[in-house]
Amino acid sequence: MSQPAQPGLAGRFLSAIGEPVVYTWREVTGVARMAALVFQYMLRGKIRWDAVAAQMYEIGNKSIVFITFTLGFLGMILVFQAGFQAEKITGDLQLLGALFLQILLREFAPTITALMIATRVGTGIAAEIGSMVVTEQVDAMRMNSAPPVEYLVVPRFIAGTIMMVVLVIYAVLVCYLAGMFTGLYAFNVNPHTFVNFAFVSVLDVAVCLVKALAYGMAIPLVASHTGLRTHGGSAGVGWATTQSVVSCSLSVVILDFILSGLSYPLLAAAG
Amino acid sequence: MISRGLAAIGGAFNGLAFDVGGVVMMLLKILRRCLPPRADGPETWANLYRVGVKSFPIVLVTAAFTGAIMVIQSGLYIKQYGAEGLLGWGAGYSILREVGPIMIGLMFSGRVGANNTAELGTMMVTDQIDALRALAIDPVSYLVIPRFIAMMIMLTLLVVVGDLTALVGGALTGEVLLGVDTRVYFESIVTLITLQDFLSGVYKAVAFGVAIAVISCHFGLTVRGGAVGVGRAVNNSVVASAIAIFVIDYFMTWAMQ
Amino acid sequence: MTLLSALGPGDPMIRVEGITKYYLGATVLDGVTLDIPSGSNLGLMGPGGAGKSLLLKIIAGLVEPDQGRVLVDGHDVGTLDAHKLAQLRFNIGMVFQNYALFDSMNVGENIAFPLRQRGGVPEEEIQARVREQLALVGLPGIAHQYPRELSGGMKKRVSFCRAVIPAPPLLFYDDPTAGLDPVTSSKIFIHLRRMQQDGGTTAITISHDIDGIKPICDRFALLDHGRLVFHGTRDEIEASDDRLVRQFWDGFSDD
Repeated sequence: MSQPAQPGLAGRFLSAIGEPVVYTWREVTGVARMAALVFQYMLRGKIRWDAVAAQMYEIGNKSIVFITFTLGFLGMILVFQAGFQAEKITGDLQLLGALFLQILLREFAPTITALMIATRVGTGIAAEIGSMVVTEQVDAMRMNSAPPVEYLVVPRFIAGTIMMVVLVIYAVLVCYLAGMFTGLYAFNVNPHTFVNFAFVSVLDVAVCLVKALAYGMAIPLVASHTGLRTHGGSAGVGWATTQSVVSCSLSVVILDFILSGLSYPLLAAAG
Repeated sequence: MISRGLAAIGGAFNGLAFDVGGVVMMLLKILRRCLPPRADGPETWANLYRVGVKSFPIVLVTAAFTGAIMVIQSGLYIKQYGAEGLLGWGAGYSILREVGPIMIGLMFSGRVGANNTAELGTMMVTDQIDALRALAIDPVSYLVIPRFIAMMIMLTLLVVVGDLTALVGGALTGEVLLGVDTRVYFESIVTLITLQDFLSGVYKAVAFGVAIAVISCHFGLTVRGGAVGVGRAVNNSVVASAIAIFVIDYFMTWAMQ
Repeated sequence: MTLLSALGPGDPMIRVEGITKYYLGATVLDGVTLDIPSGSNLGLMGPGGAGKSLLLKIIAGLVEPDQGRVLVDGHDVGTLDAHKLAQLRFNIGMVFQNYALFDSMNVGENIAFPLRQRGGVPEEEIQARVREQLALVGLPGIAHQYPRELSGGMKKRVSFCRAVIPAPPLLFYDDPTAGLDPVTSSKIFIHLRRMQQDGGTTAITISHDIDGIKPICDRFALLDHGRLVFHGTRDEIEASDDRLVRQFWDGFSDD
């Protein structure tokens, strides 16, 4: 056996592109396989509701302060930008609130909330499951015929999906209120003018909820998958946690692109 | 019951005060060591390289998708009013001023900030930081300053590159999905977008870079309690960075109207 | 309920055939072959990083080998479907190196876990057996405490209770005394010996404490850099003139 030849520039270039592609493909198929397994357990009724409740508290209640803070500031930022933009072109701020609510539902509330949850819960799930892997708790489960996917992933999946929808609805409220006060104090837009549901259709609300649902299913799956692949002590847990934020955030961005693209013809036809 | 509730609230505020104070102290420590600017040269280069290489692909992918999403969202209004000539401006304005820096900042925090906390945290729990101290090497000068410089410079550069990628991603989406000619798209960007729009995003990137560096170093160097502690520190670090990004963004938006 | 034995007459309880495992380009187990007859206790020794824990996990079916196969009770672990593998694992009790107690459960729930998973045991009996096990290891009345409140030695003993409570015919101990003080470890070895005398369990014990496992094991194996250096009975290991075997057995180093 001779040493393999040192790859040339072209070879290195190809491997630099190929490696992430292969890695991503493996991740995607792994997550898909896990999703299939999760649905299988759910259909067989193997759901531990006490664990689901605990996870709902962990994912939902404990995120409220964080979401209030970040989405509140986002509401102020968006109204500021939109206000400046509108003042520059038309000087007409009558429709500020109505347009703000529409774009909030279609895009910012679900996606930014999901990115925040990817940050807080994505790392949390990966760190927790990762620590269980390196301390052999997952092996102990398997030895007692308690499949880790059933015991660890199913409750997080159900809780994450439900809580994401709840949090997105809450985020719309927080963001809208913060925007309303910014409109009042920065641009003198009366709340009566600001609160205007004229542009919001059922379709906008549907897009918001479908996005929330998709993110809510994706984040626990991706984070659990990353956590279960942890190996090698505290460095391994650090790796899993970091990898989880990136994978979760990226899946949110890609899902957003896909769902926005799919909903575009519907919204354009309706608007 | 009440006293336990109060204790929980008090404990939460205690923790908050510890972290806010710790982040400020970390910033001061960094600034004091930057006054006559002295940083370990090779260590800084190594960090610049690592930070850049680690985050470059993810930032490009995120930016391209962000540009596409912004074009889809503004496209809905553009189509409604038949103002196709404004697509580039509408999407470009939000990308350059707001969405670009925020999305790239969040991704950078997830990739580089989290990794930094995990790395420093692992060094803490394996006593490597104490070993440095025992060798009379100041961990802040040796470990933190190079990371601080690297993150600040790299996030700025990444936002510049990311902005361009996002605009290109937007152009492709406009052409394919909305049927807006790429030339029309770029024309409206060139004529309507000002240098100020672009620069205000870049200034934000510098501030985000500083915040992410200081926060991730603080949480990394205060890790306690093994593998579980490292995971918890990374979690806290990314949460704090996300809050910092939105708060800083708000004040900079307000100041740079 | 449990999987029927597929052993022929004279077959060993555990047969390891040519197990090879690669990790990050290195060979961490290299063609390990050994038999463990029914009712014996194998002491698995070797320097750190020799692949002892990995071999144990491969035998338990937790890690897939790259080459070779493992027969436990006559069943090829690698080819069993999920259901049959679960049945087979109900016959195995395992003490992990890092205790592996579930953080989210208290001590009582941890110990009761294997019984609850197997099902069919009434709740009063579960409680009684948990109390009995805790008393046996000298830790009565800690059932309501959580693992984070316990010392290393206590966690080890609790994880011990969890492994043995269903009275499995196979027991795997991954370094049951690692990181413990001599008093606690001798207590654990005394307990192990009592278990061994009680019934015909087949066991594998990984340990660095050679003096501790000498009285409880009847067969010994020595792994070094993923290769099986020695494998045989007590008489054979005492007669061996392999340098590494002598170093481990006599507990001194000549370099």
